[in-house]
Amino acid sequence: MNVLVGILNGMISGATPILLAALGGAFTYHAGMFNIAMEGMMLAGAFGGVMGSYFLHSWPAGILCALLASVVLALIFILFSVVLRTDEFVTGIALNLFAVGATTYLLRQTFHVKGVFAGQGIAAIPRLVIPFVDRIPLAGQVLSGQNLIVYAAVLATIGASWLVYSTRFGLRLRAAGYNAACLDSSGVSAARIRVAALLLCGVLCGLAGAFLSLGYVTLFAENMSAGRGWISLAAIILVSGRPWGIALISLLFGLFDGLGLLLQGTGIASQFTSMVPYAATLATLYVYSIKRKRRT
Amino acid sequence: MSRKLLTALTGIAAALGIGALIMLAQGYNPAATYGALARFSLMDLPKIATTLKNSVPLILTGLSACIAFASGPVNLGQPGQLALGALAAAVGGLFIHAPPGFEVPLLILLAVAGGALWSGLAALLRLAFSMSEFIVTLMLNMIADFFAAWVIAFPLLDPRAFSPMTPQIDRAGWLGEAGGLSTTVLFMAAAAAVAWFVFRKWRAGYEWRISGQNSLFARLGGCRIEANFLSVMLFTGALAGLAGGLVVMGGPHRFLKGLGGNYAWDGVMIAIVAGSSLVGTVLYGLFFSAIQTGALGMELITNVPSEIAQVLQAVLVLVIVAGREFVSAALDRAEARRRARERAP
Repeated sequence: MNVLVGILNGMISGATPILLAALGGAFTYHAGMFNIAMEGMMLAGAFGGVMGSYFLHSWPAGILCALLASVVLALIFILFSVVLRTDEFVTGIALNLFAVGATTYLLRQTFHVKGVFAGQGIAAIPRLVIPFVDRIPLAGQVLSGQNLIVYAAVLATIGASWLVYSTRFGLRLRAAGYNAACLDSSGVSAARIRVAALLLCGVLCGLAGAFLSLGYVTLFAENMSAGRGWISLAAIILVSGRPWGIALISLLFGLFDGLGLLLQGTGIASQFTSMVPYAATLATLYVYSIKRKRRT
Repeated sequence: MSRKLLTALTGIAAALGIGALIMLAQGYNPAATYGALARFSLMDLPKIATTLKNSVPLILTGLSACIAFASGPVNLGQPGQLALGALAAAVGGLFIHAPPGFEVPLLILLAVAGGALWSGLAALLRLAFSMSEFIVTLMLNMIADFFAAWVIAFPLLDPRAFSPMTPQIDRAGWLGEAGGLSTTVLFMAAAAAVAWFVFRKWRAGYEWRISGQNSLFARLGGCRIEANFLSVMLFTGALAGLAGGLVVMGGPHRFLKGLGGNYAWDGVMIAIVAGSSLVGTVLYGLFFSAIQTGALGMELITNVPSEIAQVLQAVLVLVIVAGREFVSAALDRAEARRRARERAP
């Protein structure tokens, strides 16, 4: 039974950063943007989180700084792709590399270490224990006691689903993706919608980054996002940006991630278990394409 | 041509300016820093030789990305293809002991095959199952990374090593220096010449370029789009694999952790900055190599961490590309206004 709880908890903590980043990316996806900068924004958020938490000695400050760092990156994206009309693909890749370079450089400059910074003073984001839920025999250990950001991610999924499909902003967002010129001629600036989408993406990726560096572990490692931005991109594309679909896929990928850790106890080398999420993405793409072929 | 040169030069100037501002904000002297960068990469022949040697993986992966992007397929798998090419060369160098003179070409062939295999896999998945090669190559990168990490930690681990790495390859496979310049540079130059010839002079390259610019037109004109897709992926994967092989043979002579470094992603950036120009890719590759080579020396003198090279590179790419499109759009608007004025009664 403990094994099952362990698997579920591992699945949730693996899924959370992917879910948050993918929700952010979903906004830009619906707005018709080709945003691949989630990786960089998440990394910036992770670094900002550690900076804020370490120097200001509190995890709320850490979260705030994470959001700030990630939004700064989103602003750079806005500057280049919306204002200067640079190709979004190029902007995204350059921004990802900028994030890696800048965080590595600042890691060295600020903390005078290379590779990892895991100082004592980093305040972690606490877990939330829900009073009555945690008494429930099996489900209680999973539903209660999760990190604060996990609950924030659940709220974010609900919020994103409502925002995109039930509000006027969401309608305009999807219109910007469907036919931006039409939207412009109706009086609503598609560029402004895209800016809003990118800012939302920045906030959510910042939360994802904060979870990475201040959630279950409190450290910053070079290139910490480790490809999760790419996985979240895959998640968005697979479900065409639907928030609840993203949540499901994220749980699936989180499961595979956690499965990797579980298999480490057996004779299978850790490198193969680490491959699992990426191989799972390929398998999911394959299934998706087979389904599409069957429909036509 | 001159429009490209103009935007390139203004972009570089603007990016260096922004870099200088960043340095000033950190309390460093930009002039001294840039001076040190230039000094440690270009001041004398040995340093130029080092810059050239370091540019080999950058230029080869840059050419790989450039040709792919200009022909249609989105091949972002250079990191994985480089890793597998390096792994293939390392494995060959450990188990095949041919006479000197045969070993080197054999290992080169293995490296090329390794890279082409990995990109060919992505191409096949795309052709057979319509799986977007954009995502597939990205996922294959990570898989290749972990696979290589496993190989050097278990089957091919050097028992005397203190961290995961293979033993050194057969001495016959080592690429040394000839007259002070690493022979890997010669191989890179040969590969670049072949790439240029294939891409610009051969019919296959012509079909690739046309397919890249307008695939419908190409298909109507008789190009076999699927076959061209496969051949582009194989060719560009081969270039990236060659880069990996040369890194192993000319550098540490073994596969060790972190061998690929940032080479492949830097190569993609170089290709983006150069647009669809092969010559531009080579020039930018040399430029970025100078920045990286100089940064290590610069760190000794000015205490600026060498990682600032990465920041500078990203700023360069963003500013040059943004500047290019901005200037292009501005020039187009000016042209349109001029024509409208001419036609006005």
